[in-house]
Amino acid sequence: MRALALTLTLAAAPAAASELSSTITGQLILPAFQELAADSKALNKAAAKDCHPQSETLRAAYGDAFEAWVAASSYRFGPTETDSRAFALAFWPDSRSKTPKALANLIRSEDPGIADPAKFSSYSIAARGFYALEYLLFDPQLSTEGSDKYRCALTRAISTDIASTTQYIKMDWEQNYAAEMRSPANRYQSDAEIIQELLKALTTGLQVLDDMRLGRPLGTFDRPRPNRAEARRSGRSLHHVLVSLNALEPLALALADNHTDLQAKITAGFAKAREKAESLNDPVFAGVADPASRFRIESLQQEIKDLRRLVTGELGPTLGVEAGFNALDGD
Amino acid sequence: MASRRGFLAGLLAAGLAPQASWASAGSPAFLSAGKDAGGAFLLAGLTEDGEVLFRHPLPARGHAAAAHPSRPEAVAFARRPGRFADVIDCRSGAAIARLEPPAGQHFYGHGAFSPDGSRLFTTENDYENARGVIGVWDASGGYKRIAAFASGGIGPHDMLLRRDAPGLVVANGGIETHPDSGRTKLNLPDMRPNLSYLNLDGTLEEQMELPKELHLNSIRHLAMRPDGTVGFAMQWQGDLGEQVPTAGLHQPGSPARLLAEDDPRVLNMNGYGGSIAFSADGSQIGVTSPRGGVLQVLDTVGGALLKEHRMHDVCGLAAAPRGFTASTGTGRFFAISDTGQHRLHRADLAWDNHLIPLS
Repeated sequence: MRALALTLTLAAAPAAASELSSTITGQLILPAFQELAADSKALNKAAAKDCHPQSETLRAAYGDAFEAWVAASSYRFGPTETDSRAFALAFWPDSRSKTPKALANLIRSEDPGIADPAKFSSYSIAARGFYALEYLLFDPQLSTEGSDKYRCALTRAISTDIASTTQYIKMDWEQNYAAEMRSPANRYQSDAEIIQELLKALTTGLQVLDDMRLGRPLGTFDRPRPNRAEARRSGRSLHHVLVSLNALEPLALALADNHTDLQAKITAGFAKAREKAESLNDPVFAGVADPASRFRIESLQQEIKDLRRLVTGELGPTLGVEAGFNALDGD
Repeated sequence: MASRRGFLAGLLAAGLAPQASWASAGSPAFLSAGKDAGGAFLLAGLTEDGEVLFRHPLPARGHAAAAHPSRPEAVAFARRPGRFADVIDCRSGAAIARLEPPAGQHFYGHGAFSPDGSRLFTTENDYENARGVIGVWDASGGYKRIAAFASGGIGPHDMLLRRDAPGLVVANGGIETHPDSGRTKLNLPDMRPNLSYLNLDGTLEEQMELPKELHLNSIRHLAMRPDGTVGFAMQWQGDLGEQVPTAGLHQPGSPARLLAEDDPRVLNMNGYGGSIAFSADGSQIGVTSPRGGVLQVLDTVGGALLKEHRMHDVCGLAAAPRGFTASTGTGRFFAISDTGQHRLHRADLAWDNHLIPLS
C-alpha cells in the first residue's frame, strides 16, 4: 500500500518535488562545484607562482580548494563519477599506502611524463589529487625527497590536474547534469528518483563522517588508529568534520522543506554535533589513543550516528524513500 | 500381453510419458523471493522482463531458490536463520512439501538439485557444533531427508553444481552465528572462508582459501561458467574503507584470481558483493552491491572493471542475451548492456537478494 500511496502523492504534487530538487541544485550543488573549480584554479596559480612546500600562499590556496572539495564531495553521483574524477581528486582512505608509494616512485625515477597534463591525467589516481599534494606539502619525508626541482614540477602537475578535473566537473554539472536534477528526463524517470539521489547524498555524507572520518581513527578501544585520521599531515582532520557538517546541514534542511518539526530536529542535531566538534581541541584526533579524551571523540561520533538515525528514520519516510530492502539485509 | 503398468513404466523409461514441464508453468524465465506492498513475503515466477507470472506466499522472508531441472518445481529457501524450504508446483502455485532441517540446524538460504533431479542439496548451519552442513533430500518423491555431510567449513551460503565434473561447489562464508544471538557474528577474528568442492556423496575434493590478509572477506555467492570456472562474490567484515576486492574467479586446480583489486572504484561497493553472474558468453562477470547502489561489470580475461551501472538497492543479477538482467529492492528490472541500462517492468514488490534463472 505504501508504494501506491507514494505514487498518488507524487501524482498530486509533482511540481513540489521538482521545485525541491531545482532549489537544491541551484542553491547548493552548483555553487559547491563552482567554488571548487574557482578555488582549484587559484591553487594552480599559487603553485605556478611558488611551489615551495612551506609557501604560505600555496598552503592557504591548497587549504581552500581542499575544503571546497570536502564540502562538494557529498554529491558523489553523475559528473564526479565520470572517468573516476572523484577518486582522481581524493583517493582516501588509502588503506594500502598507494599514494606515498606512487609519489616516491615518481620522485625517484624523475618520470618526465608529469610535465604533460594530458599524460598526467592518465597516471595512477593514487599519485593525483588533494591527498597526494598533502604529502608533497606536509609529509616530512616526501616533502624533502629527491630533487627540489622535480618535486616542484610534481606539485604543479598535481595542482594543474586538480584544476582541470574540477573544471570538467563544474562544466558537466552546468551543461548537463543540472537539467537532469531539475526534472526527470534521461537519468531519472521520476521526481521520486531525483529526491532519492539527493537523500542518498545526505546519508552517504553522514556515513563518511561516522565510519570514515571518525570511525577509522577511532578503530577499537583496544586498537585505536590515530594514524588513520584523514588529512592529519596538514592538521585538517577535525576541521574537515566541521566543513562536512556545515555542508550537509543545508542539504538536510532543504530536503525537510515545509516540515518545520523535522527541520527543528535537524538544526538541533547538527548544532549538537558542531558544538562537540568545536570543543574538542584535537585537530588530528590524536586523543583516540587516550581513554580520557577518546570518549569525547566517541561522543561526537554518537551525535553523528543520531543524525543518521534521524535522516533514515524520519526524513526518508517523510520523503517517501524507504531504506533499502537489500542494502540493509546483509546476506 | 504387456500389463498397463509395464507399458507405462516403459514409456517413462523411454522418456515419452506426458510429463509436466516448465513450459506448462508458463515458462518463467526467473524465480525471485520478494515482499509485497503489504509486507507479505513470497516467491515469484517472472518473465525475462520482470513481469510476475505466479506468486507463492512464504511464511517469512525468503532468500534464494532452486529450480528442479525438469519438473516445474521450485524450492524457496528461508533467509537465514529460517527453518523452512517450500517446494512449490510452479503451474498452480500449490505447495508440494515443506522441508525442515533437523533440530539444532537452520537453512542458509541457498540450495541446488542434482543434475538428474533426484536429489536436493541445502546449505545448513549445525549451530550447536558451529559446523556447516549440506542436507540431502530425496527429490524423486516426497522430499525425505536422506543424508547430510560436512560443507567443508563454517557458514555455507551459496552452493552450485559443478560443470566441469560431477559435484558441488560451496561458498563457506566462514562466519559463525547462533540463533540465540540472531545474526550476530561470533568469530570474526578467526574466520576462514573457503570454496569447497565436494562430490555428490560429500567427499571433499578440493578447497580454495583466500590469502591470509583477506581472511575477513567472507565468500558468499557464486556464479558458474559452462567450462567450470567459478565466480565468487565476497563481503568484507573488516573496517570500511579498506580497498578490498569483492569478486574473484577460481578454476579447480589453480589459485584464485581476484578482480579489479587495484581499481579505486572497488570502494564504491562498500565492501559488499550481493549477487554475482557471468554474462551469457562468459567474457564478463557482474557483481552487485545494494549498499553501494551499483553493479560493476568486470572483464573475466584481464580482470579489469569495465563499467559501473548505478541502480538504487540493486541486488539480483542474471545473464541476459546482451549482458545482464538486474533486479532491485524497489521492484525494478533492468536490462544491462555495454552501452547502458534499460528499464524493464516494475512490479509493486520489493525483489529480494537473488534472481534465479531457469534454463
